[in-house]
Amino acid sequence: MVLLILSSSFARAEWRIEAETGVVYNSNLSNSDRSADVRDDWAWRSDISAGDGLQLTRDLRLNLGADLRGDVWDRFGAFNTIGPGASAGLRYRFGLGRQAPWVLLENRFGYDRFQDTAQSGCDNVLNFEAGIALSDRIALEGGYAFESFVAPNDFYDREVHRGNARMVFDVTSSLQVTVGYTYREGDVISYAVPPRPDIARFSIEREDQDQFGQPLRTAYKLLGRTNAVSFSVAYHLMKYASVQLGYEYAVTTHDPLQYENHLVQANIAVAY
Amino acid sequence: MRPSHGLVLLTVLVLAGDLLAGSLEIIVKDDKGRPVSDAVAYAVAAGAASAAAKKQAVIDQRDKQFVPYVTAVQVGTAVIFPNSDKIRHHVYSFSPAKKFELPLYSGVPAEPVMFDKTGFVTLGCNIHDWMIAYVAVLPTPYFQVARQDGRAVLKDLPAGQYTMQVWHPALKGQPEALAQRVDVGGATKSLLFTLPLKSDVRAKRAPGLTTGGYR
Repeated sequence: MVLLILSSSFARAEWRIEAETGVVYNSNLSNSDRSADVRDDWAWRSDISAGDGLQLTRDLRLNLGADLRGDVWDRFGAFNTIGPGASAGLRYRFGLGRQAPWVLLENRFGYDRFQDTAQSGCDNVLNFEAGIALSDRIALEGGYAFESFVAPNDFYDREVHRGNARMVFDVTSSLQVTVGYTYREGDVISYAVPPRPDIARFSIEREDQDQFGQPLRTAYKLLGRTNAVSFSVAYHLMKYASVQLGYEYAVTTHDPLQYENHLVQANIAVAY
Repeated sequence: MRPSHGLVLLTVLVLAGDLLAGSLEIIVKDDKGRPVSDAVAYAVAAGAASAAAKKQAVIDQRDKQFVPYVTAVQVGTAVIFPNSDKIRHHVYSFSPAKKFELPLYSGVPAEPVMFDKTGFVTLGCNIHDWMIAYVAVLPTPYFQVARQDGRAVLKDLPAGQYTMQVWHPALKGQPEALAQRVDVGGATKSLLFTLPLKSDVRAKRAPGLTTGGYR
């Protein structure tokens, strides 16, 4: 029966191609708590995806997609990465129209190949999102995600739980503003010039690394809690394209360690 | 009366009627003086019953857009919603003047939708949230949708007194608040309407920041 529905829907497949490219700046790529250890950098980030939306019933939509993502960092090339991924998601809308509440269950599986190949591995994100329009101009969205990254080098294995909420404002027909909050709990890797017995005491694992050059740093894997607030703006340039600007301020703690990240992103997004 | 005299009299009466018929040019601007397109200008005759609607109207779906954006019809008009795209659409309306749903379909629906109650109807597509269009269902056959230059011309109005109104999807308030009375007969008259408009917050097709819209 499922195959019958799918084959029937494939006959009416609706392909959508999306591409984003732009720059991202991370004020603390090394996730360091001491200012002497902090290394910032910016990267050129691109993402291209092709997806197919299959409307299975009036309210239920199956999305299948494939994507290719990449980062090229200016100074710290060890973090350059490229990776393909595939995703599948079901979206259910409780009624008709864009103001109807919706829920989305989605899974993306991908492979990230780093220039520093020891960091390469497979990542999987299971994402649950929901949204509701509060008016024709304001929407509330939020969700929970479980992220896991598995690398041949166990040191880079990570598991993360993430919850987020955001308000989306359609300020004008061309301008959309989003204010968000994210709570993240899980493995983080923080780099510091040794000796750091204070961090070593509670780190899960540690390795000496050279991704940030000299002096050599030690990478500490920790369980961290991150609170982040974000502000994003999208301006629709034309029918298929928009320019997007985003800022996020994140504080990660694992007593007594605490570090901050300022993330700034600017990109052009195209969808067809 | 001989037949030839009757024919002459009939011709004179028709010509006299034509001479009495008039036109109205409606100029629609916003409160900053800019021309407003897609405004529906309509004239309601004082005390006269309007002729029944006869025509069908068509609202197409092309390149994931409704075409046209604004349609004006007389009450009692049947509207066909062909889907000229190669994908399916799902047309709906929640508006009190006409609630209906055309579930996922391709091609031309078997039955048109009858708009049998006056009012203003908002159309959407349940698959493509940016698709939106409006139908003004009017109690009169005398209407026109303003062009890009904000002008609409109503021709061949029978002589008499009319109430002229203008509606726009972004209009603040009701069109009755801006109504103008006008006597029609003979020469073309011009009327200016200045509309207070809400800002346009239509969903856009370009990628945005939300995850819900198209997904």
